[in-house]
Amino acid sequence: MQRFPQPQFETGYVVPTAQNPAVFAWLPPWLEALLLAAVLLLAAWLVLKRRSRPAVVLLALLCLAWYGFVRHGCICPVGATQNVAAATAAGGGLPWLAGFLFAAPLLAALLFGRVFCASVCPLGALQDLTVVRPVRVPRPLDAVLRLGPPLVLALAVLFAACGAGFPVCRADPFVGFFRRFAPVPMLAAGVAVVLLGTVLARPYCRWFCPYGLLLGWCARLAWRHAAITPDECIRCRLCGEACPFDAIREPRAPAPAGQAAAARRRLLLTMLLVPALLAAGALAGRLAAPRLALLHPDVACEAHLAEMAADPQARYLDAEAFRSLGRDPARLAAQARAVRARFVFGAGLAGGLLGLLAGVRLVLLARQPVRDVYTIERSRCVGCGRCFAVCPRHQVWAQRRRRNAALQGNET
Amino acid sequence: MSAEESVNAAITRRGLLAWLARGAAAAGVAALAARAAHRPSAADRQVWQIDPAKCTQCGRCATACVLQPSAVKCVHAFAMCGYCKLCFGFFQSGVDAARLDESAEKQLCPTDAIRRVFIEPPYFEYTIDESRCIGCSLCVKGCGSFGNGSLFLQIRHDRCVNCNDCRIAAQCPSGAIARVPAATPYILKDAERNPVPANRPAKWSV
Repeated sequence: MQRFPQPQFETGYVVPTAQNPAVFAWLPPWLEALLLAAVLLLAAWLVLKRRSRPAVVLLALLCLAWYGFVRHGCICPVGATQNVAAATAAGGGLPWLAGFLFAAPLLAALLFGRVFCASVCPLGALQDLTVVRPVRVPRPLDAVLRLGPPLVLALAVLFAACGAGFPVCRADPFVGFFRRFAPVPMLAAGVAVVLLGTVLARPYCRWFCPYGLLLGWCARLAWRHAAITPDECIRCRLCGEACPFDAIREPRAPAPAGQAAAARRRLLLTMLLVPALLAAGALAGRLAAPRLALLHPDVACEAHLAEMAADPQARYLDAEAFRSLGRDPARLAAQARAVRARFVFGAGLAGGLLGLLAGVRLVLLARQPVRDVYTIERSRCVGCGRCFAVCPRHQVWAQRRRRNAALQGNET
Repeated sequence: MSAEESVNAAITRRGLLAWLARGAAAAGVAALAARAAHRPSAADRQVWQIDPAKCTQCGRCATACVLQPSAVKCVHAFAMCGYCKLCFGFFQSGVDAARLDESAEKQLCPTDAIRRVFIEPPYFEYTIDESRCIGCSLCVKGCGSFGNGSLFLQIRHDRCVNCNDCRIAAQCPSGAIARVPAATPYILKDAERNPVPANRPAKWSV
């Protein structure tokens, strides 16, 4: 669009070139990856071997400063889940660092449990450091609230894979703190979650974080895991009271002989519920698909174009932009159709999987395993170290270790 | 087999199964990440950028960005500029062409971010002061409608915090904002004349 020719200057004026600032990054990608791996291993060592709550808190503070306030929280493993889903659906094209950010904490969880949550994740650190007076949520309510992460994960993967944006990033309440700038609603949400977190510890981690769900699944298979006591449990129940995340299960005696039949019946009943929940979930997803698809820009644009054609008063920016750019409505219709088909398949699948998960959890709730000592529920434990800080056996162990270290120091 | 031995055997079997499950999970996670990243064109990093060819100057760049003022700024492709005396990116429409001066009420830019300097008759140079620009695209629209279209919007990477879900991209009505490799972070209108865009080469820019 050269309406006016470039002038021929006679005074020796040189046409300047615009200066474009380069992309800034604190670290090269390989160093970033190396740093994350190192921090994960350090966190695992602090929780599993050193067994030191103060050290875990210190590392959490450092990671909060670095990953949160310096790196502005982006891109984080929680959000990277969506990048992986989007790139997988699109057939590749993800920067390898994003793939590494997604995979490394999960692999660490397969080896050592959720050490990422303990002291690496800035969202977790922010919440962990603001726990003041934790209150226990009734177990049934907790079981319902714990359907949050799978629901968020299903929606996040569905939207990312269908190309409709990253809902988890949009709902992130904390990133405004990290940027030290946020629109008022985001800031209000962040303050509300932090305030809620003073009494209901780590509300985002427990009832929202989709990545925590994946970490929990990996942690169930962990090779080594944090233990409450260094040697034996004396059933003093101090750890159970110290855990603000309800991740410690009390000992339970075997059920009296008379109740075995009832327990078996209950287990059978919940097992029968599983296929029903699966079908209900798939149906709900299938029914919700058209509504969900409207959040995709192509589908929305098609709907807005139709509305503007029907009603001359209606105005939609995207439809107007579509017209002014002279794009092809037939192509848009084809794209929107493809997106809708994707949503129908994806939402049905996601709904079915959600139903299956709810059913499996019901079966697990109906089971009444016998426990003779206090045990950590690995999928819930974030490795914060509060339990072993209060464990009397740990105190003895730590004292002995200190004494041995002092003796060794005297010898040398 | 004694009772103790059978217990040991059970533990080993269980341990083996646990290792199998762990290995399968690890392979799954690694395969997922590798499959997502497998395309060789995938860059080390990606950043957001506006494609000027798709931009419709709706003005949302000024308001949708998580930063205030926005990370989007107007950029001037000097090589395309006609150096017009009556610049439709600089002056309000309907301004008296006989009495052109830099007084505020005649300027289109709401923040006085365009500097107009006389070069030689009848040419004027227009420069964007990025510290004032809010990315509202009023000048871009004016220049594109009546001039050469040498003004256009770009996400400036000294300001952009590279959110994983760019809020302007989400609100852009024409889908003009997408990820580009961090090695080529700008989509310039005069790219052929201005091929290496960097005045502050950060060492680890890629």
